[in-house]
Order: sequence, then C-alpha cells, then structure tokens
Amino acid sequence: VNLSTHLEALLFLAPDPVSIEELADALQVGEEAVTQASKELEADLEGRGLVIRRIDGGLALASHPDAEEAARRLLARPRTPALTPAQAETLAIVAYLQPVSRPEVARIRGVASESATSALVERGLIEEAGRSQFGAVLYRTTALFLKLFGLDSPEGLPDIAQWDPSPEEATALRDRLLRAGEARGEAAAAR
Amino acid sequence: MLPGEEVEELDELQPGEAAEELVERMLQYARFRGAGAHLAERHAYGQAFLLRSARLPEGLRKVPVASAQAAYDPAVLGASLGALLRVPAPIDLTHMATARVTVGERLQILRDLLRRGRFSFDEAVKDADRATVCVTVWALLELYKRGEAAWEQDEPFGPIMVTADAPQRAAA
Repeated sequence: VNLSTHLEALLFLAPDPVSIEELADALQVGEEAVTQASKELEADLEGRGLVIRRIDGGLALASHPDAEEAARRLLARPRTPALTPAQAETLAIVAYLQPVSRPEVARIRGVASESATSALVERGLIEEAGRSQFGAVLYRTTALFLKLFGLDSPEGLPDIAQWDPSPEEATALRDRLLRAGEARGEAAAAR
Repeated sequence: MLPGEEVEELDELQPGEAAEELVERMLQYARFRGAGAHLAERHAYGQAFLLRSARLPEGLRKVPVASAQAAYDPAVLGASLGALLRVPAPIDLTHMATARVTVGERLQILRDLLRRGRFSFDEAVKDADRATVCVTVWALLELYKRGEAAWEQDEPFGPIMVTADAPQRAAA
C-alpha cells in the first residue's frame, strides 16, 4: 500500500479539510511527500465518484459534481439559495478588500447595504472583524466562505482587475454622465 | 447610513470634482459587480461538491460529555486521592552518621593559620563541605568581632585574604 492510498484513507475518515502539516504528521512523512501523494491520488481518482478539494489550506474528499443530484436526494439536503446580486456584490467587496466596513461597502455600491451584509453574516459567509478608526464594524470572510467557494485562502481569488471596465467603456460612461449633466443644466436655465 | 461613518458625500464636493468622483465610483462599482457575478457563479458551482457528512465510526468519534458512560469504579479514584492526602511517616535517619562542625573547631583552625600573619579563605576551607564553609565564615566574623583578624577582597567573588591586623584596628 503506497502513500497516496494511506492519504486516501485519512481523507476518507476526516470530517473536515485536513492540513498538509497534520497529514504529514499522521503519515510520518514530510510535507513534500504528502503534496506529491495528493497529486497521485488526484490522478487515481480520475473517473471515480470522489474528487480531492483544496479548501482552507487543507485537503478534503468530496463527491464528484456529477453525483450531486443523487447525493442530495440521498441526504435530503437541498442546495442553499443562490446569492442575490446585492449579496454577491457585497461579498465580492468584503472578499477583496477585507477587513472592510459597511459604510465602505455602501460607498462602493452606491446604496445602503445593511440587508445584504446581515444576510451574508446569517449565511456564515462573512463575520465581524473589529471596528474601524471611526467605530464602524469591519467585516471579513469566514472559513465557510473558503469551503463553499473551494478556495485555499482569500488570496486564491482571481485578479479583480479582470472586471475593470475597458478604456472605451470608461470613456463612454464619462461622456454619458457629462451629457446628462449638461441636459440638466440647460433644463434648469430654461426654467 | 449611520451618522459618523466615514463616507464622503458627493454634495460636499465642487461640481467638477463630484462628477469625476462619481465616474470613479461607478467604475469601481462595475469592477465589484463583475467580481460579484463571478462569486455567485462560483457559489453555485461549489455546491456541486458535497463534503463528507456521514458520522465517523463510533470508535473514532470524540465522545461528548452528555453521552459518556461510566467505565471506571469511582472508588478507585477516591482511594488514589485519599492516598495522596495521607501524610507519610517521617523517614528514620538515626542510622545515618551526621557530620558536625562547631565554631570552636573552626576558630582554632583559623587561629593556627593566622600565626602565619596572612592566609586565603579558600585555603581555610579547602575540601570542606558546605556546612563547614558556613561555620568557617561564622568563625571568621567572630575573629573580626574580637579584633583578631580582618580581610580584604579586591573584587566581588575574588579571593578573600585574611590578615591578623589587630594592632592597626586597635590603634584606629
């Protein structure tokens, strides 16, 4: 029985993601060897019902996405509701700027975000992380966030610059605002 | 928004600055709206993976206190604690020879050495045990009190030189 087989056994038993360090300790080998064994196990699981997920700095076995429907029927566990656009935007701001205050979230979104923030706290995706110098509550993402999004750490999020509007879109936005301002000024002068 | 929160209002700015600020905010918002859409998609995708939720085999579970069952006789614990609280009988040392040293004996030795006029304290306690060293210090203090000896030590923990200087001290 090789190391990846032992690793598979440990991950089968573990109810939560297990860090490489803990696995190395249990298997009495170096962390490098565990990382290598995890890659081998990942290859061995190709086409099987289980996959390896790297979550919160650890490894976990999860069921294959193709088995989701049957698994949810078996466990009578429906999907959690999808994120609303307001929740998704708020979560994105917290995830990328954490720790961040609710007024800052509101400033970026342009609307008050109490409801979205509270919903995300209730869903366990964000949590309080102290207070800003002005006394506003700061928020950060939770371990559940990493688990649900299959992330090793918040640094694993894709580069936010990829969603920056293109220079053409930015220019068009500026022009639109300028025209709206001029139209408003003319209307005021006519009155 | 609550008063005192750190949001810069657009109406506090000049019209030109406000327009520029508004554009910047809208561009920033567009960025996070895109990131939010990505997260919503990723959230849905993440739900396709189910993590283990079955209970561990009984032998591997951490047992909560509420479901713990008695496995040991409390009398064993009581007897163990009771034994710890009992004061043990004093150990009989009468069969052991105890080295005794008196101030008188050490005084005699120091006076013999003083006949040379000067000696080091280390010499007086060479190969002696700790009790003898202590009693020798006591004897030396006794000699000093009687004006028979004095000592000098150039630096802390350095050698102590004992001298018979009764005449000088008597003169002082």
